Amino acid sequence: MNARMSRSLIVLALLSVAMIITPAAVSYPTGVSGIKDSGCNCHGAVASSEVAASISGLPDQYNYSEEYEIVISFSGGPADAANSNQGGFNLWVSDGALAPTDATVQSYGENEASHTEAGNDQTSWTMTWTAPASDKNVEFILHVNSVNGNADGNNGGSSGDLWNRLSAKVSPPILVLEQADPFVVLSTLIIVSTVLLIITLAYVFYRTNPDNFTWDYFAPWIADWLTSTDHKKIGTLYFVAGLFFLGVGGIMAMMIRIQLAVPGNDFLTQDQYNQFFTLHGTTMIFLAAMPLINGFANWMVPLQIGAPDLALPRINAMSFWLQPVAALLIFTGVFSGSGADTGWTGYAPYVVSDTAHLGTTMWVAGQILLVASSTLTGINFLTTIAVMRAPGMGWLQMPLFTWSILIANLMLFLSIPAFGVGLIQVYLDRVIGTAFYDVSAGGDPLLWSHLFWYFGHPEVYVVIVPAFGVISEVIATSARRSIFGYRSMVYAMAGIGIVSFIVYGHHMFTSGMSPTLRFVTMLTTMLVAVPTGIKIFNWLKTMHGGSLVYRTHTLWTLGFLVTFTIGGISGMFFPSIAMDLHLHESYFVVAHFHYVLVGGTVFGFYAAIYYWFPKMTGRMMDERLGVIHFLTGFISYNALFWPMHRLGVWGMARRHHTYFVTTEEAMGALPIEAAGWNMFISVSAFLFFFSNFFLVANMIKTVIRGEKAPADPWGGWSFEWMTASPPPTPSFDPHNLPILRDANEHIANEPGSLGRLFNRLMVSEDEEVAH
Amino acid sequence: MQIENALFNWLWDYYMFWSILVSVLTFTWLYHHSFWYTSKEGEEFENPDMIEVGVFPKHNDDMKLEVAWTVAPFLLIVWLTYVSWAPLNSVWAAVDDVDAHGFECEDGFSSNNQMDSIGMITSECYHVVEITGKQWVWQFDCLELSTDLCDTSSTTIEVYGTIPVLHLKEGETYLAILTSEDVTHAPWFLELGMKEDVLYGVDTSLWLPIPEGTSDHVILCAEYCGDAHSVMAAVLDVHP
Repeated sequence: MNARMSRSLIVLALLSVAMIITPAAVSYPTGVSGIKDSGCNCHGAVASSEVAASISGLPDQYNYSEEYEIVISFSGGPADAANSNQGGFNLWVSDGALAPTDATVQSYGENEASHTEAGNDQTSWTMTWTAPASDKNVEFILHVNSVNGNADGNNGGSSGDLWNRLSAKVSPPILVLEQADPFVVLSTLIIVSTVLLIITLAYVFYRTNPDNFTWDYFAPWIADWLTSTDHKKIGTLYFVAGLFFLGVGGIMAMMIRIQLAVPGNDFLTQDQYNQFFTLHGTTMIFLAAMPLINGFANWMVPLQIGAPDLALPRINAMSFWLQPVAALLIFTGVFSGSGADTGWTGYAPYVVSDTAHLGTTMWVAGQILLVASSTLTGINFLTTIAVMRAPGMGWLQMPLFTWSILIANLMLFLSIPAFGVGLIQVYLDRVIGTAFYDVSAGGDPLLWSHLFWYFGHPEVYVVIVPAFGVISEVIATSARRSIFGYRSMVYAMAGIGIVSFIVYGHHMFTSGMSPTLRFVTMLTTMLVAVPTGIKIFNWLKTMHGGSLVYRTHTLWTLGFLVTFTIGGISGMFFPSIAMDLHLHESYFVVAHFHYVLVGGTVFGFYAAIYYWFPKMTGRMMDERLGVIHFLTGFISYNALFWPMHRLGVWGMARRHHTYFVTTEEAMGALPIEAAGWNMFISVSAFLFFFSNFFLVANMIKTVIRGEKAPADPWGGWSFEWMTASPPPTPSFDPHNLPILRDANEHIANEPGSLGRLFNRLMVSEDEEVAH
Repeated sequence: MQIENALFNWLWDYYMFWSILVSVLTFTWLYHHSFWYTSKEGEEFENPDMIEVGVFPKHNDDMKLEVAWTVAPFLLIVWLTYVSWAPLNSVWAAVDDVDAHGFECEDGFSSNNQMDSIGMITSECYHVVEITGKQWVWQFDCLELSTDLCDTSSTTIEVYGTIPVLHLKEGETYLAILTSEDVTHAPWFLELGMKEDVLYGVDTSLWLPIPEGTSDHVILCAEYCGDAHSVMAAVLDVHP
């Protein structure tokens, strides 16, 4: 490692550390958690054992709804009757209701109480606690300050004061299991998933060569993976990371569905729910879908165009390794109980407001790194595809998957700077107090929405267009036909790419932005249906006259055609403004984008996994497990998302931590049937989640003892099927690159209809000579 | 629950008709080709496009067909755009547009709402109310309107706690001026099928024509605004 590289690494490490540490500068003495941990406004940095807090009057076991008089007190520390002030407290209770009995105590809602100004000169306070009407394990958390009463002003009068903390538990009449903190559940599941992933990788290493299962062999093996610049290895890293975060995002989705299974549920608090849906969206888009795309793109683009590697292999490695750092930043807030709670869209001014969690800063910092990663990836693929195509391969002879990656990266390249700029503005607003989005200081309340959706809508296409590429490859190969309308497929993808930049306003129909802009984007949004329709009809026509062979990737492709068509059609309801005013921000939107992003992108990538896994590993996947995966996944997926359309029309709002149905006793927002449908959706969600275990099992089984794969198991035409399975490194000999032949060469040399017309008009040279 | 917005229901039915038609066409085509043009693994098959590894295959295209399914969806979406165009004037009518909701009503005048065949409501005049959103409560102000036209109160609903109530009169049209005191919110009148963002620092507005027969219903916040977003509710009480 030379000195320049060492310096660069040190600077990068320092920057990463700085981004993590900076937001912590405003954390509370007990961490950056919510009110129950930090609400004491503790006087001092650390708790002091000199102060002893106590709560009296609490029963060991409460009676339903009974009122208890409780006394809070403390002893020790600098408190003294001679001081001008003696102390204060903050009490938080998980259930039941706290209420003051005199002017020395004030409550903040039912769950929190503190001393008043008048109660600042005491060491004990009295209040009532009404026990819950149901069985709950109740937790009390008390913070007390013992103060010396100085008023030097420099430290808010708190220098020399001491504080401490006490927690107590009260049991219900009927003992119930302690409910785990959802963050603990999430963290546990993530850790378990990580451990399982590590064990799986270790097992794969072991099975590759059981005789060499020693550290001496393992160290260079793992070092090779961590430092490799080979496109195939980086592709695999992206692929594993993408699948891992698909699982993590799925775990969060399951917890969201537990919360929504019944009306008025309290499995997650509002605060927790807001963090879960924020991270679910961020994880699925940026840490699952994008890495999966990059995984396949890394693997297949060089192979498909006959290149030995990507144009900039070290940039490629850096693009990947920025992602785990970004993921750590994004999740840091969650593990401290104060993760981003802004939604993946991070709307301003909420995102810069005091009410947004502190973890939002880390979330923004992580996304800035992802922007950097995506930009570097974009440079790499555009360069590679532009200059490293094999001899004989013109632009209109590239495989459609490569075309899809080219168009996706062009879209990303043109849109992501807007997002990056917006993120940096938000970061500066949150950290050093600039006012890009502080409306009271002249900031613009709609600027973020414009910047975000200018990026956000093309981003949705960035994750779906590569799936179009996959489906084009798979359906043609499975039908043993050339894709119908190759050129119109390319133009349709390019058309989608262009139109994607002028439709984003449909996310803002109800935002109050310029009506002219809203009207224009209504028209352009309608236009997206044209290239999308061309693609669907071309895929269907490709099967015409073909010899479709049913394999698992064929099944997922046909499934994609069903779900993506439904998702596309439901998308047409939004540009009709009079309908959008009702459907916007409802579960109809949730259903639509899951039909597009899961039924489209994820199904597309399931097809890609079954299609290219033999090429990547040299082993054939188990078709029986694959069919079981498809049947269970396809059915449970539709059961999960289809009913959401109806819930949206009924008025179920997205990003609401719970919902209420109208009963004879009380008015709610939704009809009573909504409760049953939500339970059905939650059960289906679990079935869909677990159906993916068939895929994981299949991949593990295949790697360990799958049948050896030939170079071209499905009969494809493009260059990746020319190399061995798995391909060697470098993928193609740089001194002996493959040359693409063209079955249309005789056609290509013949003039088109326009050429024939000109030929008729022109006098040929032979005739001129004759005259 | 029914959406009492006749225009929404008309558009919904219209779009559903075309959606079902397109779906039936697509899925029938898919179903047919999926089962008709098949072969088994290892079975001999024709290779009309000369597919061979390392060779770009023969083009499989048909200009007429490709143009046909470019033009046909284009015509359909032009038609759907046209169908969706007219209602724009109803939901986004400019203030003081005589063809939509007229001018602000003078004291004692009624909007005399009229609904056309597709559910678009026009009015002779409109009443102005103010809606303010702040974390996490709605505030309604009837300004100078009589209590018969507009009133406010509060109610306690088991699940939402004590929330404000806006009393409006059916058959009247209201222009709600929307403001926020902190972050972005959006009142969603569930049965009216209407919502609009409430921005801090910028006034927005929302037409609220109240059709006859509208039931009392919950108003939710549709734009995510933080902790208690899901219980930032109110009630619209409609009286004859």
